[in-house]
Amino acid sequence: MTESAKPESAVPETGMPEATQPESVMPPYNKPLPVLTDDNRPFWDACRGGRLSFQCCSGCGHLRYPISPFCPECLSADFAWNPVSGRGTVFASVVFHQAYHPGFKGEVPYNVALIQLEEGPRMYSNVVGVPPREVRVGDLVEVLFDPVTPEITVPRFRPRGTAT
Amino acid sequence: MSHRLRRRGAIVGVGASAQGKVPGSTALSLAVDAFKRALDDSGLRKNQIDGLLTLRGQTSPEGEQNYLRLGETLGINPRWTGGMHMGGATAGALIQQAVLAIDAGMATHVACIYGDAAATGGGVFNRAQGWGDSSSIWGFMAAAANSAMTASRHMALYGTTSRQLGEVAVACRHHASLNPDAVMRQPITVDDHQASRWIVEPLHLLDCCLVSDGGVCVIVSSAEHARDLRQPVVPILGMGQAHTTQTLGREDWWYAPHQKAAVQDAYAMAGVGASDIDVAQLYDNFTISVLLWLEHAGFCAPGEAGAFVEGGRIRLGGQLPVNTAGGNLSESFMEGWLHIVEGVRQMRGQCGPRQVPGAEICLTTGRGMALNCANALVLGKG
Repeated sequence: MTESAKPESAVPETGMPEATQPESVMPPYNKPLPVLTDDNRPFWDACRGGRLSFQCCSGCGHLRYPISPFCPECLSADFAWNPVSGRGTVFASVVFHQAYHPGFKGEVPYNVALIQLEEGPRMYSNVVGVPPREVRVGDLVEVLFDPVTPEITVPRFRPRGTAT
Repeated sequence: MSHRLRRRGAIVGVGASAQGKVPGSTALSLAVDAFKRALDDSGLRKNQIDGLLTLRGQTSPEGEQNYLRLGETLGINPRWTGGMHMGGATAGALIQQAVLAIDAGMATHVACIYGDAAATGGGVFNRAQGWGDSSSIWGFMAAAANSAMTASRHMALYGTTSRQLGEVAVACRHHASLNPDAVMRQPITVDDHQASRWIVEPLHLLDCCLVSDGGVCVIVSSAEHARDLRQPVVPILGMGQAHTTQTLGREDWWYAPHQKAAVQDAYAMAGVGASDIDVAQLYDNFTISVLLWLEHAGFCAPGEAGAFVEGGRIRLGGQLPVNTAGGNLSESFMEGWLHIVEGVRQMRGQCGPRQVPGAEICLTTGRGMALNCANALVLGKG
């Protein structure tokens, strides 16, 4: 999952751990990528900078995800991007044994987990750095940043100990 | 106090085309075939149909204008029409809309129709989920994805096992073996289920529904009109629906809490409870879905459905026969439309070797999209 092309110019200045798998000669990244819009660009820019950030409503303080121009609680359109700790737990975890996109043909079996972040939001991601079938609901995880193209750095997660 | 809509509507005609792989068929031809069969089943004449509600197939080239295309093809100029797209929740939702239109005096006989050539016509069920920053970025895509997450969570919280999921697949296949119209009729065992390959773990291949060509039509009329028609009357005793539009934003979305609300509303309208249900047709895109329905419909407590399905309890002859025609898992994947057809036939007593003796009340349920939409019908007799 961590196909880090790692062009030097895109290596984020970050305190977060980076992808841990050894580098090798990789084909061009051919998995689905986000389509950048005015709504989601700050999220992906933050990832490129090594930060996981969510929209915090200026009206009611609700921290929201998925990305939306409006707060689903109070409908305010005012918000700020707030960095979060990147720490969370595995809420649910599955292993894809079938590739539904050509980009994942060489990946199966791979893990996809629903991550419960400490600050509230939940997001899909991949838990990497452990065999995909060994990821368990309740496992403690922390974000890492996987630069897959010069523009896009994908947040993924890896196990963490309790003493973070 | 009796609810005003209890027994207001009735299902007077059901029809299904050939199912499975139907070479040379189209979504349109399958829908037309189903309509002709349902019309014949009901004894109505075509010019009596004044309501037309449709779910477009994944392979319907006209897309959202499916209701116009079908109306033109069938030569019906309806007083009440439209399309709805709620995946596996659509059939029940359209039938509910039909009852409301009939009750309002805006239609008399409403045909609800679906057709799709998904098996031979290039269905797109395995598309990525959602929109925006699609979860496909992380490889989370295809029909099994959400149900696999639900199964993962259910297993972790309640100790539900893959073998218990297998019991659902085995029961559905057993029922399909008694249904000459079912696509998959070879009986299976839990060991067969366990040996089938992983798709999205914790779901095996035999946890997954089929991909099928087929068409289904259900004709809804008022209960008064139903008495003058060809078939034994199957009144709609109760109906309900509920939806969770938020997914990641709702902590319990994976558990589809709206399913409970939909069933409770249907029970309340019908004036029944779980203990009154003789047979149930529970939406089964994946085996885990049946477990959720059993819990939400009150047949067992939350977390207990895994144990509930053991020991043949949901097979014919068991405490609560479920999906007596084989369901989406083994009869044919018709987005839950055939669940309603089977419910009607059980209430009519037309199910031959798979008839539940003395069955008088049937629960049918549907759920669609990314677990978002749910509904329930309680069907009865005359």
